[in-house]
Order: sequence, then structure tokens, then C-alpha cells
Amino acid sequence: MVLRALPLLKTTILMTFVVFACLPLVQMTIISFVATLPQADTKVGSLTLGNYANILANPNLFSAFGNSIAYVLINIGITVPVAIPAAYAFSRMSFLGDKHLFFAFIAFRITPPVVLTLPIFQLFSALGIVNSVFGIALAHCLFNLPISIWILQGFISAIPKELDETAFLDGYSRPRFMWTVLLPQIAPGIAVTAFFCFMFSWVEVVFARILTTTNGKPISMAINALFGFQTDIGLVMAVTVASMIPGAVLLFSMRNHLSRGFRVGKV
Amino acid sequence: MKDRNNTGWMFVLPAVLLLSLVGLIPLITVINYSFFEIFILDQRFWVGTEWYSEIISSGRFWSSFGYSLLFSTLALSIQIPLGVAISVCIPRQQVWVGLTLAVVALPLLVPWNMIPSLWLSLLDPDTGIFGRIMAAYGWSADWKLSVAQTWAVIIAMDTWHWTSLVVILCYSALTTIPASYYQAADIDGAGPWQVFRHIQLPKLQHVLLMAILLRFMDSFMIYTEAFPINAGGPDGATMFLAVDLGEDIKAFNYGPSAARSVLYFLIVLTVAWLFIKAQNQLDAPQTTEAN
Repeated sequence: MVLRALPLLKTTILMTFVVFACLPLVQMTIISFVATLPQADTKVGSLTLGNYANILANPNLFSAFGNSIAYVLINIGITVPVAIPAAYAFSRMSFLGDKHLFFAFIAFRITPPVVLTLPIFQLFSALGIVNSVFGIALAHCLFNLPISIWILQGFISAIPKELDETAFLDGYSRPRFMWTVLLPQIAPGIAVTAFFCFMFSWVEVVFARILTTTNGKPISMAINALFGFQTDIGLVMAVTVASMIPGAVLLFSMRNHLSRGFRVGKV
Repeated sequence: MKDRNNTGWMFVLPAVLLLSLVGLIPLITVINYSFFEIFILDQRFWVGTEWYSEIISSGRFWSSFGYSLLFSTLALSIQIPLGVAISVCIPRQQVWVGLTLAVVALPLLVPWNMIPSLWLSLLDPDTGIFGRIMAAYGWSADWKLSVAQTWAVIIAMDTWHWTSLVVILCYSALTTIPASYYQAADIDGAGPWQVFRHIQLPKLQHVLLMAILLRFMDSFMIYTEAFPINAGGPDGATMFLAVDLGEDIKAFNYGPSAARSVLYFLIVLTVAWLFIKAQNQLDAPQTTEAN
């Protein structure tokens, strides 16, 4: 009897959790459609699309979206090509200090950004990349690069070693093997990695805040700037909803990769 | 066996250079600052380990350390079992599984500085969905005055934000279990608990270790989300380590905040070391099986 009820119980637990996950998002979405500041043509508390119209009307918000997309793409563009050879090395080769190096990477992944804010700001000022999307993209490599190496090396380790050996017998060099044989094999892994980079980078605020005081503000900072003496909370929520759309689109297009499973292995 | 040669360094070199730039150099700078009294950055005086002894002997540091430790313990003991339970509840092959996972992962996409605002509006007794339900049961709007309720809100918020990551990691590990394992268990008459204990849990070990590492460090150093909920209050009861450091940096106390940062990095190193130890422990009995 208990066993008969198990699938039902599981579905109930799962659905309860889904509702819990959605509840704050529903709240946010509702507020985003409500007028929360007195305006000429709408009463406070009435349903409106005005908040979304205000996003389009505000050039700061509009450019913030562009900045966010730009720095995330640059970050993925730096992280993935650097992570693939490193992940390959950790997965297939043994070299002097490999364990220690992996340890150092893990340590940097879990270093809280707030610890490094001041020197990163100074260093990036000296390099002239503050207030630009490039600075944020580079700073986010601190946590995205280790996690990418970790995820990718799981995918590479899942590929039989014979694939490498056959290719080398056929006269492939290592770089050529990686480019023509390995890359197509780990394509889903690259997609998962890119998604995780996107996810951790898009929502990060500590580096984003200190590295953009005048220019290049990402969407999270543009939302911050909306808080003030009289905060239009409806607009704030509308921008937050809008800021989640690119991620949600990515998430839905990635959903089968996520559920097909990716390996996170040992070194 | 892996190839034993040092050409591996050629492959990791770009990653090493990049992390040196954004990680190692700033870290060395922080260590350097931590020994100085700094008014403006060109003018500094050597003070030796004064900041360190000041921090180590201050009650404020140890109380925020204690709060952070308690917070991480609570967060982990809720989020890890919950994440595992949810991932086990997700069926293995259904069309709607991908969709469910995607919906569950949505909280991960909210900008971190907006998470407190979301929860504050959710809990608002006049307009919030949750606040209104609770108000009907006599829950009052002055929860910010209560230590327990502030903690409950921050824990609930963190659970909402991050359990999805545990679910995704665990579920992805579960899908690598071949169907034949379950069939064999079925033939042997194994119950659901035995299937979980002997088939699913062993597969989850590596991923759980990673989830614990990430969740521990991220909750231990919670910063962006915790402060706006109640500004570290009531009475500093939610003044976590990183929140305290953030306030120090905002006050331009370069020297003391650098010393504090170095102490935090030592904590980071300890945790990473424990993690590597635990990982080796996991791998030790399995190496014969894996190869």
C-alpha cells in the first residue's frame, strides 16, 4: 500500500517545491504589472503595462541590458577556450603539481569576491579597464574559470581514452585531436558550462558594483540605481522580470541537457 | 593510467595566467596591505601584525564568525537533504522533466541584489502573498524586531535561492545511473529505501561533495542578500562575516579590512583542503572499481 502511494507522494513533494520556487517570482510578476507611483493617467494600484513601457523609455535601463549581455558573452568567450585545454590536461595527463594546482583553483572558486574587491579595483584601474564591460568580464573569471574546468573535465573523463589513442595512432597531434575529435564529443558539456558561466555571472553584484561607478553598469546595478527617495517598486520588479528573460530562454533551451545529466568528477 | 609528463602545463598555462591576474595578484596585494596603517594609498605605515591581533581579540569578529557558522550549518542541513529529496522525486523519463527542472532553476537567475527586495515584498503584510496569509494567522509586521524571525526569513530566502542548484547537480548525477541497476534491484526485491541507499546515494557522493563545498562557502560568506533584509540586525544578530567586512571596506579601513580578508582566505584554504581530503577519501576505495 505504501509502495503504491510512493509515485503520488513523490509528485506531491516535487510540485510543492515547484510552487515554493515560483511563489516569490509570482509576487514579483504581479507587482511588475501594478502602478505603484502616482502618475498622470493611472491610479496607484491599478493594473498597467506602464512599468514595462518605462523600461523601453529609459535609455539607462536599455543600455544596462546591453552591458550585461556584453560582459557575460565576453566572459564566456574568455572562460570556455581557456578552460577546455586545462580540463583536458586535468582529465588525461599527470604533471608536476597537478593536484596542488587543482586545489588552488578550488580555493579561488570559493574565495568570496568581497575579499578581493579593493585590490581588483586598483589593479583594473591601473590597467584602465574599470567602468567597462571588459573589466567585469575579466573579474568574473575568478569564479567561472575554476567551475568551468571542473564541469568540463567531468565531460572529458566520460569519453573513453581509446578515442585519444586511436587518434594519435592515426597521426593526429594533441591540439588537432582536441579541435577535430574532442570538441564535437563534448559539445553538450560546453553548452552546460556556458550556461553555468552565464548563471553565475549575470546575477553577480559585488564585482559589478565596484567596477562600474560611472559607465558600463550592468542590469543589476541599474536596478540598484532605481532605489531612492521615492522608489517605483513596480518599475523595479518589471526590470527584474525583464532581466530574467534571457536566462529563462537559455534555461528552457538547455533543459534537456540539464536533465540528461552532466558528470562532476574527480581529478 | 594517465600519461605522466609535464606537457600538461602547456594546457593549463592560460588558466594559470588568467587566475594569477584576477586572483593571485589581488590576493598578494591584500596580504601586503594587511600589515600597514593606510590613510591614503600612497601614505602608509608598517604596523606589523597589529590588525590581526586586534581582530582575533575582538568579540565582534568571533560573534560574526559564530553567526556565519550557525547560518551555514542551518542552511546546509536544510538545503542538502531537501535538494537530494527533490532530485529523487523527479521521475527519470518524462517529457515534462526538463520543463520542471527549468522552472525549479529560475530562482538562480534573479540578480542577487534583488533577492532581498523580492522577499521583503513577499512578506509584506498588506500586499505580499505570503505576508497576507500569515497576517490572517496573527503574524505581525514587526518580525524585524525578532532575532528568530529574521533568521527564519534569511534561511528561507537562502533555501529558496540555492536549493535548486543542489537539485540540478543531484539530478544530473542520478541520470547517469543505468536502468539495468534499477531492474536488478527490482529482481532482488529491494525497497525504495534500499534503492536509494545502495544505488542512488553512492552515485551522488561526488556531486554532493561539490554541492556541500559550494553551498558551505557561499552561505558562510553570504553578503549581498543578507544585509538588506534587516541591516545586520536586530542587535547585530545577522551581522555575518562578509557583511561585517563589507561595512569595513565601505568605511575605507584599508588595513583592518585587508587583515580580515586574509583571515577569510585562510578559512577558504582550510575548507578547500578538507574538501580535497574528503574527495581523496571517496576515491580511494573506488579506484579499483573505476579502472
